[in-house]
Amino acid sequence: MSAANVISILSSKKARTMTQTSQTADDWADLLEAVARRQDTKAFEALFKHFGPLIKAFALSSGLHSQGDHLPEELVQDVMLAIWRKSASYDRRKAAPSTWIFTIARNQRIDMLRRLNKYRADVSADAIWDLESDTELFGEIRQSRIQDKVKSGLYDLPVDQRQVMAKVFLEDKSHQEVADEMKLPLGTVKSRVRLAMKKMKLSLEALDL
Amino acid sequence: MSQWHPQPDQLVEFAAGTCHTGMSVAISVHLHYCTQCRTALSELESTSAVLFEQQSAVPVTDSAFEQLMQRIQREPEVEPVVEPVNNRFPKALSTLLPASLDDLDWRQPMKNLRVSHLMTDESGMIIGLHHMKAGARVPNHYHRGEEISVVLEGGFSDQLGSYGAGDFILRTPDDTHSPQTDAHEDCLMLSVVAAPVKLTGALGWLLNPFLKA
Repeated sequence: MSAANVISILSSKKARTMTQTSQTADDWADLLEAVARRQDTKAFEALFKHFGPLIKAFALSSGLHSQGDHLPEELVQDVMLAIWRKSASYDRRKAAPSTWIFTIARNQRIDMLRRLNKYRADVSADAIWDLESDTELFGEIRQSRIQDKVKSGLYDLPVDQRQVMAKVFLEDKSHQEVADEMKLPLGTVKSRVRLAMKKMKLSLEALDL
Repeated sequence: MSQWHPQPDQLVEFAAGTCHTGMSVAISVHLHYCTQCRTALSELESTSAVLFEQQSAVPVTDSAFEQLMQRIQREPEVEPVVEPVNNRFPKALSTLLPASLDDLDWRQPMKNLRVSHLMTDESGMIIGLHHMKAGARVPNHYHRGEEISVVLEGGFSDQLGSYGAGDFILRTPDDTHSPQTDAHEDCLMLSVVAAPVKLTGALGWLLNPFLKA
């Protein structure tokens, strides 16, 4: 799965309509809470049907299959198992469902890659990303507003910026690796990401003092 | 609120999960002290999630859900989460520490400076602790590679600024500095340094105060 696929989806009007008519963040949050409260397997299956294929796409774009054909499916299993087990800790005031699921997928990918490289990790990905977020800052409304801002912002980005964003954020590549792959100077890759964040009016630029 | 932060592109790599463990631990510790960077991280993760949701889905095998449910039946118990024995510091660091810092293997390259090596990550970055006595000055030095410091307790200053708890300080090979600890309090820092390339021979391992012999 290449960045080009992501981009074709991003820019297609049809995709835009589809996301609007399909289930909303609230629906996914309801399903996660059903899993947490009563181990609702029907709710879990609905989550699996939607997010399983996305986790597999994420595994493929990260190149996991190059280390073993079975690994993308294995990541799907690991991530969905973690979702089942951690569902009680999901808090819709702190994160949109897709954000929460993305962070689990990211952490499971990191731990899987370490196992594959036989690197003994003294510190698990979950310990590193164990951040008690302040609910007053990251309220539910703010969460959905950020996602809306990102969604509309991404459609308006020029192709070169969107492509770099997809690579940097999903493909398990550092800025340097993206620069090498695209034969661009490192500074260009970094500035494209920063420009994109700026256009989406996200506060990252506030850090750029 | 800390005053010195990771670079935006370092936070991006942290959010995407692509930086090495040493950098991740340093940023994670900084985030514990810094609301501003936590807000930025939350937005970066939301950005990742939107890109994640907009991927072209790739079908999973037909039996995948059944297999998963069988696994859940087989392994219903969640493995007990091992909580760190040390709760003085943010979790990413605490998991690397014994109950008391006195139980660490400290080396003392200078009279007022103690260092302890905690782990070497997959990219060869060394994660350690620096403990400087109150009022201590470390002589002017430069770094062979990048050095990241995150102040945990106390504070220090050098030619480029002064730093307190949570501050994230990046020094590149070109920087030289001579840190001076605040007068009335010892300074404890997390440090992440590139293994010294020029000292990788047998003798180098003995000479570098960070490395366990």
